[in-house]
Amino acid sequence: MMEGGEFAAVKILFFLMAMLAGASVRAGAEPIRVASLSTVMADLARDIGGDRVEVVEIVKPGMDPHIFEPSPGDYKTIANSRLLLASGLGFEGYLDKLRPVLEKSGVRLVVGGEVVKPIEGACEGHDHSEDHHHHGTADPHWWQSVSNVQLVARQIRDALIATDPEGQGTYEKNAAKLDARLEDLGKWVRLQIVQLPKKNRVLVTSHDALGYFAKDYGFEILPVQGISTSDQPSSQKVRDLIGRIQERGVKAIFAESIENPKVLGQITAETGAKPGGMIYADGLGSGETGTYDGMMRHNVTTIVEALK
Amino acid sequence: MRGSPILRLVLVAGALILLALPVWQLTLQTPSPIPAKPAAVAEDLADYRVILKSSGTARLQAMVANQPTVSSASGVENFEAVFSMSANEPEDIAVFADFVDRTRSSALRVSVEKGGEVLVEKTFWGTGVVEDVVEIPTK
Repeated sequence: MMEGGEFAAVKILFFLMAMLAGASVRAGAEPIRVASLSTVMADLARDIGGDRVEVVEIVKPGMDPHIFEPSPGDYKTIANSRLLLASGLGFEGYLDKLRPVLEKSGVRLVVGGEVVKPIEGACEGHDHSEDHHHHGTADPHWWQSVSNVQLVARQIRDALIATDPEGQGTYEKNAAKLDARLEDLGKWVRLQIVQLPKKNRVLVTSHDALGYFAKDYGFEILPVQGISTSDQPSSQKVRDLIGRIQERGVKAIFAESIENPKVLGQITAETGAKPGGMIYADGLGSGETGTYDGMMRHNVTTIVEALK
Repeated sequence: MRGSPILRLVLVAGALILLALPVWQLTLQTPSPIPAKPAAVAEDLADYRVILKSSGTARLQAMVANQPTVSSASGVENFEAVFSMSANEPEDIAVFADFVDRTRSSALRVSVEKGGEVLVEKTFWGTGVVEDVVEIPTK
């Protein structure tokens, strides 16, 4: 017969062995493969999924998502994934072509634009003749609002739980931490923007991608192009814009990370407004702007410093 | 051509000037009329009273864009500041409380009044430091 102390020691040993066995099963388990057409949603999925997911970015930082078309290799990568993340609201004009592939391969599609309240009518008044993508009338750049990103983060959490119910605890814990960080980010943005007098809150940017940001923080947008980077401004539009910039006394004009800043340079020279710096409108950058938090902090700091 | 060379020079120069005059007038850039500046409209200003109440002793602060930040001494529970802003489109107000007790959850109550009328009331929570932005609704 075992003594009490010996019995307790054996129990602890069994417990430790069971824990090690469990850990090795998790370590050996294949991570859930998540393909992403959005750099922002990829960042959210990495935060929520932790080491239970492997995120493959189809659209990578620095690419122009407005003119991106997936290659046959991308189709294969998507078909080998469990989830596909997309911005929606027409941002990925090729999404309908992908749907049969997703259905055939059993890939769950998560469309961020389905859980946010879209800004309608954003597409009116620009020429679609050479548009590379085919968005609807809604502004697809929902990630420029932190509260929208909180909604999409919850959507990704729920999709991961539905795909991998065993990881529910991990996903819920990580999503709660992310939500708290986004709450802090939203407050930080408010505290930065409050330094700008309301009359200075005019954003002249390459294309109309900051509508959600403008709505949240009371900015007026004067875009050079339309909602897509492929919308080219007419000379009349440029002249009108120069007039409005001079009339409003706009202090600075912002270039975007993936734009050709030639027209902006011309407007800057003619209006006397200074170049305000580079902002990230269509997705994440690299280095300090390689995360959603970093991108928003960079954009807000750039805007506030230039327009103060 | 006969006559004094000086007279001839004057005549040729005169003829050339007469010929060049219309060309010069065509190429002369007339200065574009300076757009009339709209008469500076005196902005309608109003005084906004910001009342801060904290759940514990703290240093309280309020800030409005383009105006000096107004701070209390440390260790107070009530503080008031008055900001002169546009009566039609007032600025947002940043409020801040740095609590003496940094271990407990604390609250900061903010109310904004104009002419005795309460425009907005908000309560913010936090531990140690509470900071946020109050938006004044416009009619």
